[in-house]
Amino acid sequence: MKESLLEILCCPLDKHDLELEDAEYDGDEVISGTLVCSECGERYAIEDGIPNLLPPDMREETPA
Amino acid sequence: MKGQEWYQADDVAEEYDDKRFSQGGQLIDRREKEAVLEAISPLSDRNVLEIACGTGRFTVMLAERGADVVGLDISAAMLQRGRKKAKRAGVSDHLEFIRGDAGRLPFPDDHFDTVVAMRFFHLADDPAAFLSEMRRVSREQIVFDTFNRFSARSIYNWALPMGSRLYSKSEVAVLLAKNDLTLVDVEDDFLVPYGLYRSIPNALASPIRSLDRAVGELPVTDHLASVSYWNTRVR
Repeated sequence: MKESLLEILCCPLDKHDLELEDAEYDGDEVISGTLVCSECGERYAIEDGIPNLLPPDMREETPA
Repeated sequence: MKGQEWYQADDVAEEYDDKRFSQGGQLIDRREKEAVLEAISPLSDRNVLEIACGTGRFTVMLAERGADVVGLDISAAMLQRGRKKAKRAGVSDHLEFIRGDAGRLPFPDDHFDTVVAMRFFHLADDPAAFLSEMRRVSREQIVFDTFNRFSARSIYNWALPMGSRLYSKSEVAVLLAKNDLTLVDVEDDFLVPYGLYRSIPNALASPIRSLDRAVGELPVTDHLASVSYWNTRVR
């Protein structure tokens, strides 16, 4: 993802802004890092350039 | 959501395009793309979100035609394929992929001009909730397809890996009304269901498709079509 995507992305739970932490870049692309909700503090990982905005109850470790 | 695990498996993503959109599947692919382009052109600088974008079949096409596109899907494996496809097509600067839940979209209200969801609603366990969430993030238009009840689709439905939810026209009309959406256009197609097209070689698929089209143009067969493409406007 590009960092500019942060302007539109929000927390899927409460729709508040996300902040980018521990970003690693490849050119202008953010390859890995964490998106943190400025309101509820929920953390969303960026995996191989794709942000994972699945709510916590839908992530791999949780049964669907 | 039906077939969630099957859909997210790595090997399913790897073979997905080849299996579903080669051979007779090409005809379906072409028809679906035509339906989407017809509904959302002109694309230049349009903000488009695609729900359940899979390997980027539509997102890449839309980005190539100048739209600013976001593709959302539940499967990391499918999205990675889409990301590679976007790089190859040279459209990465205006196409982003996001993993997420269609029921809880990570976008603010009214952000997109158009929200597209192809091959999505037949898997939706709660279509009203999904449509309402799509409506929340769209300021202008929602485009989607449904598989129809009372069609050839009903006959082979049991054989599908994911099963399928079928809709009647009146069900969709109620869904639209509840979400303040106005119907701009609906197109019906494919008397012969998709599964048959996928299972036969092109040499056979084309003549069957011609027949399908010719018969499909008769007014009386309209409600027997297996697929409907819906173009709706936000009120």
